[in-house]
Amino acid sequence: MAGSRRATLRNALARFAAGAPTRVFVLEGIDAPDALDVLQLRPDITFVDTPRSATVLLVAGRLPEAMHEPARRAHDAMAEPRATIWWTLAPDDGAMLPFPDATVVPAQPNGSPAAIVTLARMLARTQAELLCAARPSEPALLADVDPAPWRGVGPYGQGGAGMTGGVPYGRPLAGRAPDRDGLELDQLPVRVGPFFAPFPAGLVLDITLQGDVVQEAIVPGNAFVASGGDGSPVRVTGDAFHAALSEPVRIADLERARARHHLRWLARMLRVHGLDALGHRTLALAASLADSLPRGALGDVGALRRLLERTRGLGWATAGVGVIDPRLVTGRGLGPVARAAGLSEDARIDDAAYDQLGFAPVVQEGAGERTRHAVGDARARWRQRLGEAMQSLELAARAGDRRTGGEGRPIEGVRGRSSDVTRDSPSAMLLALLPDLLLGQEWGDAVTTIVSLDIDVREAGRAPGAAPLSPPPAPQPSGGMDGMAGMAGMAAKGDHTEHDHATGQM
Amino acid sequence: MLALGGALTVFLAGTGAWLILRWVGDALSPPGTTAPERVPYTGGYAPASHAWSRFHARYYAMALLFLAFDMEMVFMYPWAVVFVAEGMKALVEMLMFIAILVLGILYAWRERALAWS
Repeated sequence: MAGSRRATLRNALARFAAGAPTRVFVLEGIDAPDALDVLQLRPDITFVDTPRSATVLLVAGRLPEAMHEPARRAHDAMAEPRATIWWTLAPDDGAMLPFPDATVVPAQPNGSPAAIVTLARMLARTQAELLCAARPSEPALLADVDPAPWRGVGPYGQGGAGMTGGVPYGRPLAGRAPDRDGLELDQLPVRVGPFFAPFPAGLVLDITLQGDVVQEAIVPGNAFVASGGDGSPVRVTGDAFHAALSEPVRIADLERARARHHLRWLARMLRVHGLDALGHRTLALAASLADSLPRGALGDVGALRRLLERTRGLGWATAGVGVIDPRLVTGRGLGPVARAAGLSEDARIDDAAYDQLGFAPVVQEGAGERTRHAVGDARARWRQRLGEAMQSLELAARAGDRRTGGEGRPIEGVRGRSSDVTRDSPSAMLLALLPDLLLGQEWGDAVTTIVSLDIDVREAGRAPGAAPLSPPPAPQPSGGMDGMAGMAGMAAKGDHTEHDHATGQM
Repeated sequence: MLALGGALTVFLAGTGAWLILRWVGDALSPPGTTAPERVPYTGGYAPASHAWSRFHARYYAMALLFLAFDMEMVFMYPWAVVFVAEGMKALVEMLMFIAILVLGILYAWRERALAWS
């Protein structure tokens, strides 16, 4: 009787929950369709930041081999009931998907609005069916075993060496090292990515943390680069900038694409900073630039800029964070990042077609007496991209039918100079800057810095020396346990602890 | 007695509501059932070591200072009750008490206990 009443309550609540926006966690693959933005703008879809809070896993594009294991983990991290949908341009390439039960939805290269509506309806239907138990939940893909049971020596699993009395869930405690205050404290090694929502798609970092301070950051290779291959899965997207290298393209189209890219990046950044409504508004602005230049676009971006300048929280969160020394990036063609650091570097300066339009690059000026803000920080970078987006819209509006490109000269891409899209990679240079830049930052600032650089991991994978992802570092078994044992012995044997401090290690 | 009964009722009702909400939540959607589901999610890799680590809480000295002064405020309550009756004498005594405390703050300041880094 109680069971049936519970089932009734459960069904009523499930029907109620099924009407809510579909909670989707996205795994971005190599050729994630651009129309993800349009999907994100729909009111009946919510993109969530972790698989924990998602009902449907949306795999956008093909996943290279190195991402299969993380993808399985993300899948199994979802609470039941769960389902996977593979949205792909290449539905026949089953080797690029680690999920046997996924529903395949073919995508079109230039996603038509109708196709997005169909996909959104399908996502919503999947969630409704899952919650009402009309569709079975997908089983776990990984074995249900803890790396080791947490069990001490006592009859109830208690006790043993050190404070924790064992190895918690098979994971040794962290080793020790001096921290920024000169104390000998625990170091936590953690691999973040490739499906960590605030990061650019596919970025993997090996981070060593003490508290929330980054003590070491290593880029352990590129998840999009095939191991042992020639990196062929990294596709060159056929955008306007790519086309401009081989043939003349309309400046109006080029600049509209630039403005759209910067606004899409801005939407992502605002979302990472918790400003979801502003991010949504920015993304809608970017989406309106997809095919043509709407009349009021420049005014809308101007209004957005005034709003963001007045958003104090955003200014505080980004000012002085991730400062890039101009000398580090001089002459490397790093586009907005270089210009945000006060360098007047832009391939468009030498372009006659742009010269006719009276082009002069937007550059963040050095800190004057009136402003306390440094150039080259995360704040300068979002202001720079916003300023460039406005400039691009303004150029696009009066460029008429002028054309540029196709003369073998470098093109100013969205992230910097490019003379050969299969080789030049500002993203690879930015990625190489990360380890030094993140050192000593608190975790929140580190994420802000990473987002502010606008790294495209796929593009970085096209650089000549791009290496495939290396396996995660093996845990160091004993350090932490000894540390804890030392701490437990502290009360009883003071002189012993003194000795430990003197030698610096256990 | 009536006040105590009221407080007890509120406490019991609050505890009961908490237990019921927890039970409803667990009954409708049980917590992580498999080992991979219980693992902290960091983007697709299992953590290599346990996150049970010690780190330097820099606000520690400030928190201790705050606690000390917060407790000393307790002395002000009986003082406030007798303040009108005692008049100027009570005021001077309290000023002396606070002046001694301020010396403590100045000492902590000089020792850089209030500096964040």
